[in-house]
Amino acid sequence: MKKGLIKATDAFERVVHWALAISCMILFITGLGMMFHSFNFIGTVMGGMRILKYVHNFTGIFFAVSLAVAVRMWWKEAGKFEMPEDIDWMKAAGGYLWHVEKVPEVGKYNPGQKAFFLAVAVFGAIMFVTGILMWFQPFSPGLIVLSYPLHALGFVILFAFFFVHLYLGTVGSPGSAPAMFSGWVTRAWAKKQHPRWLREMEESGRLEVYGEEKKG
Amino acid sequence: MPEKIKLYDDSKCTACRGCQLACKQWNGLKAKQTVNSGSYQNPPGLQPNTYMLIRFQDVADDKGAVKWLFRKEACMHCTEAACVMACPTGALYYNNDFKIVGLNREKCIGCKNCVASCPFEVPKYDHETDKVYKCDMCESRIMNGLEPACVKACPTGALKWGDKADMMKIAAARVKELGESASVYGDKFVGGTHLMYVLQEKPSVYAELKQDPHVPYSVLAWKSWLKPLSLLAAGGVIGGSFLHYIIHGPKTPDEDDNQVNKAEGGK
Repeated sequence: MKKGLIKATDAFERVVHWALAISCMILFITGLGMMFHSFNFIGTVMGGMRILKYVHNFTGIFFAVSLAVAVRMWWKEAGKFEMPEDIDWMKAAGGYLWHVEKVPEVGKYNPGQKAFFLAVAVFGAIMFVTGILMWFQPFSPGLIVLSYPLHALGFVILFAFFFVHLYLGTVGSPGSAPAMFSGWVTRAWAKKQHPRWLREMEESGRLEVYGEEKKG
Repeated sequence: MPEKIKLYDDSKCTACRGCQLACKQWNGLKAKQTVNSGSYQNPPGLQPNTYMLIRFQDVADDKGAVKWLFRKEACMHCTEAACVMACPTGALYYNNDFKIVGLNREKCIGCKNCVASCPFEVPKYDHETDKVYKCDMCESRIMNGLEPACVKACPTGALKWGDKADMMKIAAARVKELGESASVYGDKFVGGTHLMYVLQEKPSVYAELKQDPHVPYSVLAWKSWLKPLSLLAAGGVIGGSFLHYIIHGPKTPDEDDNQVNKAEGGK
């Protein structure tokens, strides 16, 4: 680890993130295997469509638990939009789409990240509820059948957002990925992506810098 | 081969239930203990081990006279079948020759999508085998030039199996004979069913008979719109990300900001 790196996430955050991410990806893959006949081979590879069904169902339960922990953990920082700075950031599209001289400063999570978090929270919950309904079918078919388009809508949203997240967590924003692997990011990255967070952490003396004693 | 349908004429049915027994026998379905509910209708509804049954119903006419109505209940074999649309594995499929809805039990994974989707509430789920069961129009028989077992067993001619065009002619002629309240049931929805009825009374008189069956809008939204949209949206994002990368470029940190002093000096 290089001297001067900044701690962006703790181990618990990273574990929860990956529990959610990996279960979500397993659900995508197994879900695609059931949604499209042309992807039935995914079930064949796993030892049969019946096994795929059970992997999907039980991974769904693991996903729901991870989601509950993740929402609890990130709600304070990412669950609420702050006015007016979040609006200003959105008007500038965070400097992602066109040239912006000075991108409005936001806290630890920018409105784009908050939108992603809220989409995962809301549609993740919908996926869990509709999934359980389809699995156990406790009501009449006329009610249960409503679960299918909702589950599919959740997939449309989450699958698309997944690729946005993947791009902006890797090549679209170099230096971001280490935040979810080692947890340590460069000062330059923090200054570019989360300047206000960096400033506030430094001012309050809570910033952890690799190779330095914690100030304050 | 021409499309074929099974025609059931309730005015000719004596409810001998020979068809019900023949169905059990041909499909190797064991009977289970049932309870006397005060009706000859037994079991009370379709079950994983009962692909068809004759419904018994007492109806009083305007003079107070009681009349027995019978109806053969089984898979209707829709031309636009919600169960086939909903099935993830292809266990439910259209028979290429006769257009009936077949069921490959080997492929069924017991997901119950068809149970929730069927507008006639026909497929029945069995907890013990974790599979779904329904009438397959005796596919193994009809593919070998035989009639379905129920038709073979019918002693009165209430059940017929034949080319759709011929059956429709017979049905129309029979409706004319039976008079005003009679009608054909099955030709006006879900693209036409492959089990059709000639009903002597108005459809609304029959218990548990669906008056306006259709593929649920939920299934259409799911399979016709959201399913392709999921790949389109994801593809759009991937393409958009690539364009973003080559046109606008990634959001890269300014390298000299790594100098602590300079960064702090900038404030």
